[in-house]
Amino acid sequence: MIYSNADIHVTLAGVVIAIVILIAIVATLWWMLHPPASFVQRLAKEAEADLERMVGSIVVVFSQDILSGHMMALAAKLARGEKSELLAVYVIEVPYTLPPDAEMPVEERTALDALGAAETIASNTDVSLRTDIIKARSTKQAVLDLAKREKANLIILGSFREGKYTGAPLGRTIEEIAADAKCDVLIGVEGKHGTLLVEETSAPGAPL
Amino acid sequence: MSKDQNPELRRSVTPWGSFSWGYSDVGADIFVGLGLVLGAAAGASNVAFLFAGIVYVCIGLAYTELAATYPVAGGGQYFVLRGLGDIFGFIAGWAVLLDFTIDIALFAWSCVDYLSELLPILGSGPHPWAHFAVTIGLVVGLCTLNFIGVRESTAFNGFVSGLDIVSETAILTLGFLFAFSPDLLVHTMKTSWPTPFDLMKGISLAIVSFVGLESISQAAEETQRPASIIPRTSTALILTILIFALSYANLALGMHTWHPIPPDAHGHAQMLWQWLGNSDNNGKAVALIAKQVPYWGAVAAFYVPVLGAVLLLISSNSGVFGSSRIAYAMSKGGLLPSIFQSVHRRFRTPTVSLLVFSGVALVEVIFAALPSLSPRMADVYAKHFNGESGIDFLGDLYAFGAATSYSFVFVALVALRMTDPLSPRKFKIPFNIPFTFRGERVEFPLVAVVGFIGIVAILVFTMITHPIGRIAGPLWIVLGLILYFAYRKSRALPVFHSRKREWRVEQMEILRRAGELELMDEYVANVKASDERRMKEAV
Repeated sequence: MIYSNADIHVTLAGVVIAIVILIAIVATLWWMLHPPASFVQRLAKEAEADLERMVGSIVVVFSQDILSGHMMALAAKLARGEKSELLAVYVIEVPYTLPPDAEMPVEERTALDALGAAETIASNTDVSLRTDIIKARSTKQAVLDLAKREKANLIILGSFREGKYTGAPLGRTIEEIAADAKCDVLIGVEGKHGTLLVEETSAPGAPL
Repeated sequence: MSKDQNPELRRSVTPWGSFSWGYSDVGADIFVGLGLVLGAAAGASNVAFLFAGIVYVCIGLAYTELAATYPVAGGGQYFVLRGLGDIFGFIAGWAVLLDFTIDIALFAWSCVDYLSELLPILGSGPHPWAHFAVTIGLVVGLCTLNFIGVRESTAFNGFVSGLDIVSETAILTLGFLFAFSPDLLVHTMKTSWPTPFDLMKGISLAIVSFVGLESISQAAEETQRPASIIPRTSTALILTILIFALSYANLALGMHTWHPIPPDAHGHAQMLWQWLGNSDNNGKAVALIAKQVPYWGAVAAFYVPVLGAVLLLISSNSGVFGSSRIAYAMSKGGLLPSIFQSVHRRFRTPTVSLLVFSGVALVEVIFAALPSLSPRMADVYAKHFNGESGIDFLGDLYAFGAATSYSFVFVALVALRMTDPLSPRKFKIPFNIPFTFRGERVEFPLVAVVGFIGIVAILVFTMITHPIGRIAGPLWIVLGLILYFAYRKSRALPVFHSRKREWRVEQMEILRRAGELELMDEYVANVKASDERRMKEAV
């Protein structure tokens, strides 16, 4: 007997058994909850780690030829999940016939609309967003310079199907950015949200 | 994505989810089993739990290997069907069905016992009619909830299981720390050692504390990476329950009580185990022992009865759910009439199975309650059934059903090791004898033999010591066999033989559905190598 009074009786055997019970239960449950990862789980973990590295800082690019509205929504959700920095930039390409800082009210108005929509998306998704309008001779160069300056991990661009082979089906600027960027590039090509497939298979007499 | 005609179960059950499905079933058993065993095995209750615990470890290992090898939602019934054929698969499934119906009745009964600790008006001793009415209400209520498809979520199960593990660990740790005396334990064992008959009865009731591993196998099809996860969750469940059962038994025999134990009905002083094991208290022994832990008991007195009641209610509900699903699966497998497959048009639940087996549970509750409700019936039970009543009646049948189905599972394990050596076994029971059988290297599991001997011994103990169990248990099996023979004959299906099945194709499909692609590749390679070897030998 180690200690005894009217209420408690502490014995060495009791103390040892109590400690053994506690350790055994905790150790058993810990072992159960930490099974070794399977091959596919390791693959998934590597991919998730890659994504985490990839989305530290995201730049979403808009321009006259780059329609990124739906990709902005995706970027906002991604940024919220991964707590990334988010920058939306609209590039206005200034023709060589005009001075570099030429007034381009129609394009600037379009840019404000696009970035306003981007800010609304960010606000609805509860992420903070910086926006910027850049005037440049070349959209590609402007985006690449910005990505370098901002130390961006990911450039997100929206695109569309050309409908026919033009040598650059996603648009020349987009393909050049994808080719020359030193960071990851995510291009969203807007389709018909899968309705084409459903229409084909569900149409009467359509082949299964 | 197109909608599948036969949608597969989603693999959403995590390791903790898989564990808690099992725990909410087996974990509740000790709340019922402790009092029953103390009442029967007295000073040898710890020995009774140890014997049943060793058998339980063997059962657990067998289930673990089989569930990891065949991760389908059939459990023991499927393993026996696959290993021994249709008729034995039916008997095992029918015995599991008996256990599930007892699960419903026994745990609903005990749930009310635990509630009576806070609401004395529900006590089965002083207020049998109130106890009976609430128990019946619980069974009907659970049946209704399952009928309309409402079920507790995995998250709720996980929460209650987690809370219970913390609570029981606290009770036991603090109990041993502040109130345990090894001298008192030895003294109680010496002075209160039971007769061999009572020890056998205690052992057969102790197995009641270990029934429910089936639940992990039942959820195998919904478990993520079942072949890897189930061995861990099963092993953890076996160890956790074993630690709790052995600790409670030893604590109950060697504990200095915090409050004085009230004298028995004749005014004689009684020991803690006697108080816990008497018919008024044996349904709520864990709550009472928790109350006797110094200081902690003041808190435990309020929450342990509620926690116990919730866990027992979940366990009772798993009986309602499990019995209807097993009957549905057996019907789909051609072992039961197709009426058990009928699904409600609106709620998408197996209505007939639910009603029939919940109805059986109601009948069991009535039989259990009769002696306390009517003095005449009490005389009949005293004359013909050694005075057994209420919870004893349910415990008897529970032990019989479990021992019967587990016996078949051991034989099925051996049979499957012989007949299906090509299926990859991610978990294999240790201690095997390797030899060649029909041209294949197989391993004979020695643990299965030990477990089989142990469980058959428990089955024999049940038959010897439980007058109701020895009549009602075999009667249930005979009734089932009559139903089986009549059905198979009416459908022109083989009565004593099994239907032909493509096990190889089925095994690949099982592994594919379980997402165990590496095991599927291994199985295909094993089959190919075996076929090539046989072709060469034939040439």
